Amino acid sequence: MIPASFDYKRANSLDEALSLLAQNEDARILAGGHSLIPAMKLRLTQPSLLVDIARIKDLSYIREEDGQIRIGAATTHYQIESSELLKQICPLLPACAAHIGDVQVRNKGTIGGSVAHADPAGDWPAAVLALNAELVVASKNGERTIKADEFFVDLLTTALEPGDILREIRIAKTNGQSAHAYTKMAHPASGFAVVGVAANLTLNASGGCERASIGITGVSAKAYRAGAVESALAGAALNEQTIANAAAHATDGIDVNGDLFASADYRRHLAVVYTRRAIEAAIKSVPPA
Amino acid sequence: MKIHGTHQIHAPVDRVFAALIDPQILQRCIPGCESLERTAENTYVATMKAGVGAVKGTFKGNVRLEDIRSPSHYRMLVDGKGGPGFVKGTGEFDLSGNGGVTDIAYTGDMQVGGVIAGVGQRMIEAAAKMLAAKFFTELEKQLNPNDAQR
Repeated sequence: MIPASFDYKRANSLDEALSLLAQNEDARILAGGHSLIPAMKLRLTQPSLLVDIARIKDLSYIREEDGQIRIGAATTHYQIESSELLKQICPLLPACAAHIGDVQVRNKGTIGGSVAHADPAGDWPAAVLALNAELVVASKNGERTIKADEFFVDLLTTALEPGDILREIRIAKTNGQSAHAYTKMAHPASGFAVVGVAANLTLNASGGCERASIGITGVSAKAYRAGAVESALAGAALNEQTIANAAAHATDGIDVNGDLFASADYRRHLAVVYTRRAIEAAIKSVPPA
Repeated sequence: MKIHGTHQIHAPVDRVFAALIDPQILQRCIPGCESLERTAENTYVATMKAGVGAVKGTFKGNVRLEDIRSPSHYRMLVDGKGGPGFVKGTGEFDLSGNGGVTDIAYTGDMQVGGVIAGVGQRMIEAAAKMLAAKFFTELEKQLNPNDAQR
């Protein structure tokens, strides 16, 4: 279908994008366009102005700085998937990127766009939560940082205010032995997560779990941290039994969604299975000492 | 699609029931409701700009209240059409009072069609729950305007 008519402006800097946004409250940010454009073509959304930030050079980067990994919001999924630096220091990010859509989507879609859109079945929100990321937001009134835990508010709803632009994703580098994995059951047609689980474990010297951080997407109106799984794993030895017991809490306190493809009960079951698999895969990813 | 839930309002059951069938209060509580006009006894025509995140559509439709048994029960029939699709459904509301607190149990059966159902299917249930939560939060505010925390 053909979208309703709209204006298009390409911003050359973040400041220019911010002032274009401020002039029109109906304006939307365009980055990769792989969520926004399909919705516009179906006329589910009809912004009067698109502000394109995809070509702002200093919004697309992956670097280490001050003990943090910093990723520009307009960095594409493929740039993250193929980053040698990230494969070494934060393998959850390339692993998650590889699960997104298809090659065409990964070449254009951006991490910032996906996080800001907050699709309930998007892959990035799970990883961003599991890594305790901080999201740096630019606005006319300056910059602020929002913790991932506080960023995702509800279905397609984030802590971003009108006029805000998500600028950077920051992840603290951890000391000690980390174990990462992302497991996903993809919808066969759309590729979206029916259930997606990002596991970020810190292992102690004896191979047990010191700390666990689990992000789950696709299950509820928004991605969430599986707190009950995390506390069951913290301080535990990691064996088949402890992992299965912890994973059983994957949807504790969560309002699970159903749709034509997967009922709420089936999703609840899948969440437990994929949480167990994510924890097992994370442990397996660590080479034996 | 069936949705159901319960919600607690901090007001006596008589006041809550009166509010739930009062078009002026309903207009303020229904997310995105731009107008709600009475066309006949217990029948209204509504315009709402409903949406979640960037996805928004204008819907126009008829709302009818039936089986009104004050202050414990009524049925609402909705039949609406808009750019992104159509919605048709019935909802049953059951109220039970306990002193100054009222529990509202609702069950709804909705048919959603058109573009919004085709591409938005996986999000419709979550969207319906979110809009229901907004409705009841606003209802609480309307009934307890001085109690900002609730």
